[in-house]
Amino acid sequence: MAPPDLEQQIAALHPASFAWALACTRWNAAEAEEVLQSVYLSILEGRSRFDGRSTFKTWLFSVVRNMAARARRRRWLMARAPWRLGGAGPDPDPLDSLASRQTGERIRGALGQLPARQREVLDLVFFHEMTVEEAAAVMGVGLGTARTHYHRGKLRLTELLGPEDLR
Amino acid sequence: MTPGDDEARIRAALAEAHRDERTPSFDSVWSAAERGRPGHRSTRRWIALSAGLAAAAAVGLWLVARPPPASGWHPTGTRWVGPTDFLLQTPDLVTLRTLPPLDPAADPLVNPPPARRGLP
Repeated sequence: MAPPDLEQQIAALHPASFAWALACTRWNAAEAEEVLQSVYLSILEGRSRFDGRSTFKTWLFSVVRNMAARARRRRWLMARAPWRLGGAGPDPDPLDSLASRQTGERIRGALGQLPARQREVLDLVFFHEMTVEEAAAVMGVGLGTARTHYHRGKLRLTELLGPEDLR
Repeated sequence: MTPGDDEARIRAALAEAHRDERTPSFDSVWSAAERGRPGHRSTRRWIALSAGLAAAAAVGLWLVARPPPASGWHPTGTRWVGPTDFLLQTPDLVTLRTLPPLDPAADPLVNPPPARRGLP
């Protein structure tokens, strides 16, 4: 069982963790919830342990990111498993099913066109108020790499979003 | 448009992207995670770990307790036998390995045959 203070810390970060899980799963709410559940399970089982080398939020976000990547890989493999050949095919991209009428959906569509690392660093810096250095720690990349993704992502997103989205 | 303007707009855009989120309650996700941790999972892990250790111990014991190699043993390379050596195993091998007994009376060097007429 996780210590009560650990549970409290996780509970306090739960909304932010879910928002981050959504960004990692391209705004698929069901998948984000599943990822978050797996993260909590791995913490409960002691497979993921906070070692104090970063802030608790940075550590928790990196666990969420890794778990989302693992879930994505597993889904990719399952979609290509021999017993699935000729079946329903891969799951539809959640972004494709979104009607692009509302601003939020248009912005999510634009974010979905960015490479994953650019999308992640922008989300961490601009929505979760992290520094680029903290974002680099969450993403498991060097600071220089994170800076490059940050600048390229900003330019690309500005290009992708129309003036009505960037008000 | 300054870089600061761009950043403010991107921040607003990301806030907009996250605006309609419906975060599931912490209690529901946390309790689902706890339910996903059945007690027998740790038991199964212990069983798998014990089985692995037992297998490793059995292999170790077998390696320690197995009889030492025979004293006359040599590396295979020193006793190498060519794949076509059987061709040398002729029925007359014993004869070839020893000098055949010769009859000195029949030796032409000792008793040359008589010279024939007309021959040098």
